Amino acid sequence: MVHLLGAVPVPYPSWLNTGDNTWQIAAATFVALQSIPGLMVLYAAIGQKKWAVNMLAMMFAGFSLVLIAWVLWSYKMGFGATSVGGGVRNGVQTQLTGVGWVKHLFENFVGKPGGITSSVGEEGQAVSAANTVIPFHFPTDTLAYFQFVFAAITPLLFAGSVLGRIKFSAWCLLVPLWSTFVYGVDAFVLWGGGYFAQEGALDFSGGFVIHMSAGVSGFVAAWVLGPRLLRDREHTIPNNLILAGVGAGILWLGWNGFNGGDPYYAGTDMAAAVVNTNLATCAGVITWMGMDAWLSKQRKPTFLGGVNGMICGLVGITPCAGWVNGRGAIYVGVIDTAIVWFAWTYLSKVRPFSKVDDAYGVIYTHGIAGLFGGLLLGIFGDPNMIEYGCGHLNSAGQVVNTSAATYAATTKTCTPFSVSGLMYSGSAHQLWEQFRAALFVIFWSALITFILMKLIGLVLGGARYKDEILEIGDLAIHDEEVMPEEPFAERVGGGGPGAGGFELAGIGGSAPPGFEDPPPPVGSGPENTT
Amino acid sequence: MKLVVAVIKPFKLNEVKDALQAVGVQGMTLTEVNGFGRQRGHTEVYRGAEYEIDFVPKIRLEVLVEDAQADPVVDAVVSSAATGKIGDGKVWVVPVETVVRVRTGERGEDAL
Repeated sequence: MVHLLGAVPVPYPSWLNTGDNTWQIAAATFVALQSIPGLMVLYAAIGQKKWAVNMLAMMFAGFSLVLIAWVLWSYKMGFGATSVGGGVRNGVQTQLTGVGWVKHLFENFVGKPGGITSSVGEEGQAVSAANTVIPFHFPTDTLAYFQFVFAAITPLLFAGSVLGRIKFSAWCLLVPLWSTFVYGVDAFVLWGGGYFAQEGALDFSGGFVIHMSAGVSGFVAAWVLGPRLLRDREHTIPNNLILAGVGAGILWLGWNGFNGGDPYYAGTDMAAAVVNTNLATCAGVITWMGMDAWLSKQRKPTFLGGVNGMICGLVGITPCAGWVNGRGAIYVGVIDTAIVWFAWTYLSKVRPFSKVDDAYGVIYTHGIAGLFGGLLLGIFGDPNMIEYGCGHLNSAGQVVNTSAATYAATTKTCTPFSVSGLMYSGSAHQLWEQFRAALFVIFWSALITFILMKLIGLVLGGARYKDEILEIGDLAIHDEEVMPEEPFAERVGGGGPGAGGFELAGIGGSAPPGFEDPPPPVGSGPENTT
Repeated sequence: MKLVVAVIKPFKLNEVKDALQAVGVQGMTLTEVNGFGRQRGHTEVYRGAEYEIDFVPKIRLEVLVEDAQADPVVDAVVSSAATGKIGDGKVWVVPVETVVRVRTGERGEDAL
């Protein structure tokens, strides 16, 4: 390594804040763990045993495909500093006033695709058109990895809609294409500083961009694919509720990173987002189990109902996390979960819901939960919950965030960023902005998913497996089963390390490769005489 | 020689095992099985969907005994496995032609 003569090397540049950088990467890792193993284990456990390996394989492959696409082209589509059409240039929203909304939309629609694999791309200071007020205190790679784990979990969420019939090859095409054309656009218009961000629509951590988009896309993909086998639909029985609990628990607590990472600064609003996330989730769990116990036909609280409530609480608070207060978080958890419970129980009997085989009901626990979570922000957003405030000195001489009220009464040097919902402002403006953005995300996700599924079907000669394969499941697709019985297995032929290498090393018996006779054990003990 | 086969409620296994040891039974084989008789099954609910489960878990015990031992073994199973409620299970006895101890090659009653 070469240093300038006399210069003392420092480990990081002056714009970097070690606390922010540390928390951001830690939060990102929590979110990554939500996918693998959280969602992967949950989804493999709540389905039939015959599809568990297929689910594990889809999750591993999907997660891997998204990161490759992400660094080569799609990160910049969602979070790049310059948009196709030039509405956003070099990290600045060039507000296009006086142009029609169509032109405005298309010039602020998606970032220019590009790679971030160079040293400057990886280690330079992160920039995004969404954040023009305070500079990021970490490098591009921190932001890119944090945003990658969100991009990765989104298609994985709708694996729960399409399992039990989608070809593995179709899935491996769908994930990167979907990530590029659906997620790239949804992320840019709301998070990358694109059209809806400029209009004032807000999504703290992805109620619209992630959950609603995944729910809608899964529903459309399931519709294009057609239903699973009748036998599978009639036997959608979980294979392991303990593992479902493990997966669900990782998903829940991983959400501390999911929502806690989205302020981008390890500050006060990060802590508020984490606590609010857990409050809404607890409220969701209790609400769903209570509704099961008092309103369901069987009048019993169920554990998997609790998991559904957990997801509804988590998804509902996602668009609101750092912008509502604790009481608002509990309201969001209860209301969102109750809405989804009713939809799950009654809406599922109405067309088109009754006609589409959304295997795990992702349209309810993510689609509807995300939609209403995002709308509830327009009601419960508390202007005193400040994401990016302005500091002032309190009587003790500490720098604290200035609340909106104090700010209005005292200094007016800069504007603290917070959200004022209907309950506080008496205005439905935020609700209206949320609603418009929701309509766009639903429309775009549905349309592009439909086109992609049709294209993939054309390329692969059908995106679903033949019935003979579907009847068998994992074994037919992967030659693996989820709990192999070792005593029944006898090795034939070569391939793979293990007994083959053992023999070639000359330690084993004289049997030729091919294993007509198993090699005798090395140093076998005395005969068991009992 | 006889083979005594009993299908019992799983939570009764320890009592049955103790009762059989008390009448001199040296070994037994058990299998976890599912079945139904007059007890029928139950309902399970997963994610709001209701399923009828007709088959209930039971333990199937197999004990090889000398002819004279069959009745006391059957009596021991019946008295230890009974709860008086529906679903207590069944016991039956079948004749056995040959028994061989694999380790020594002994045959017949010596192999028991």
